[in-house]
Amino acid sequence: MGEKSEVVKINKWDGAAAKNAIDDAIREVLTDDLKCKETYAVIDGRLFLCTLAVGVAGCALLWDYFYPFPQSREVLIICVSFYFISMGVLTLYTTFKERGIFVVAKEKVGNIYRTWEASSYVKKHDDKYNLVIVMRDSNGKVREANITKSFANFIDTNGTIVQNLVFNEINKLYNSLSSEKKEK
Amino acid sequence: MLDSLFDEVKRMNKRQFIYQVLSFGMIVSSALMIWKGLMVVTGSESPIVVVLSGSMEPAFHRGDLLFLTNYPEEPVRVGEIVVFKVEGRDIPIVHRVLKLHEKNNGTVKFLTKGDNNSVDDRGLYAQGQLWLTKKDVVGRARGFLPYVGMVTIYMNEYPKFKFAVLGCLAIYVLVHRE
Repeated sequence: MGEKSEVVKINKWDGAAAKNAIDDAIREVLTDDLKCKETYAVIDGRLFLCTLAVGVAGCALLWDYFYPFPQSREVLIICVSFYFISMGVLTLYTTFKERGIFVVAKEKVGNIYRTWEASSYVKKHDDKYNLVIVMRDSNGKVREANITKSFANFIDTNGTIVQNLVFNEINKLYNSLSSEKKEK
Repeated sequence: MLDSLFDEVKRMNKRQFIYQVLSFGMIVSSALMIWKGLMVVTGSESPIVVVLSGSMEPAFHRGDLLFLTNYPEEPVRVGEIVVFKVEGRDIPIVHRVLKLHEKNNGTVKFLTKGDNNSVDDRGLYAQGQLWLTKKDVVGRARGFLPYVGMVTIYMNEYPKFKFAVLGCLAIYVLVHRE
């Protein structure tokens, strides 16, 4: 278990907080305990789109301040349309590219590179944590496993994340996906 | 309690924190861009205004929300309700056009008056100004929503309340993930 991990205590009745905390715990297991290297391309893509949108809005605000409205019309048209287009792209990106993926990690086994992607979702007012782990290796194999478990399997009565239980669960999935010979 | 409020923020890594700040920025900029978009569509520098005084009763009451357009090709006519700015006043005025002179080359000068006022607006104009021209116009009233603007009036009368509400919303957005 990672030494630096401190005890994480959350309000266990807050579904979003519980999901985020378990996501973080799984990231920690994958990157610290299983020695995979986290890659940030997916998150960085989203951050880039957000920064772009906010930057364009800032530009419009500044331009309109220095060249008051009737003069700034053309620039405003460009900025506003660009902003809403980038918002649309961002929505597409999060629904089709990111799809709830909260960690992407890489590892090298022999001379094969493996990429692990973990995504999760929780339905509103539900205690079931749905986890999907996808493994892709450089030979083109793709394996997938998913589990659906209650928060109670990872969080104790006080709302503390039990890192051990998370580790066991992830380790099991990790081993079964790594060793599976046949492609499914 | 306050401690646990910021717990989630403290646990975030760098990228999660940046995203948190950006998503707050996107809420603000979405509102801003909708406003700027409305400006472009209506041609008015302030497409939505709130009536602050009772000078246009019974047409408009204090707190009515007005929707304005300002298309240059539409001529100003007597009887229309215009929103105009006067030099030295921060807040635009909503009044009806009373007299209008139009020249062949298209320039207009006009005088306004509040329906509920007993005299015309010359006393409200800048020192020595007798007429308004097109450049003073912010827009013309095209539609209204009664009383909705009372919220903004209260907000402006009690700035502390406004800052408290906005501050709470900002903290909520910044502290909560998703």
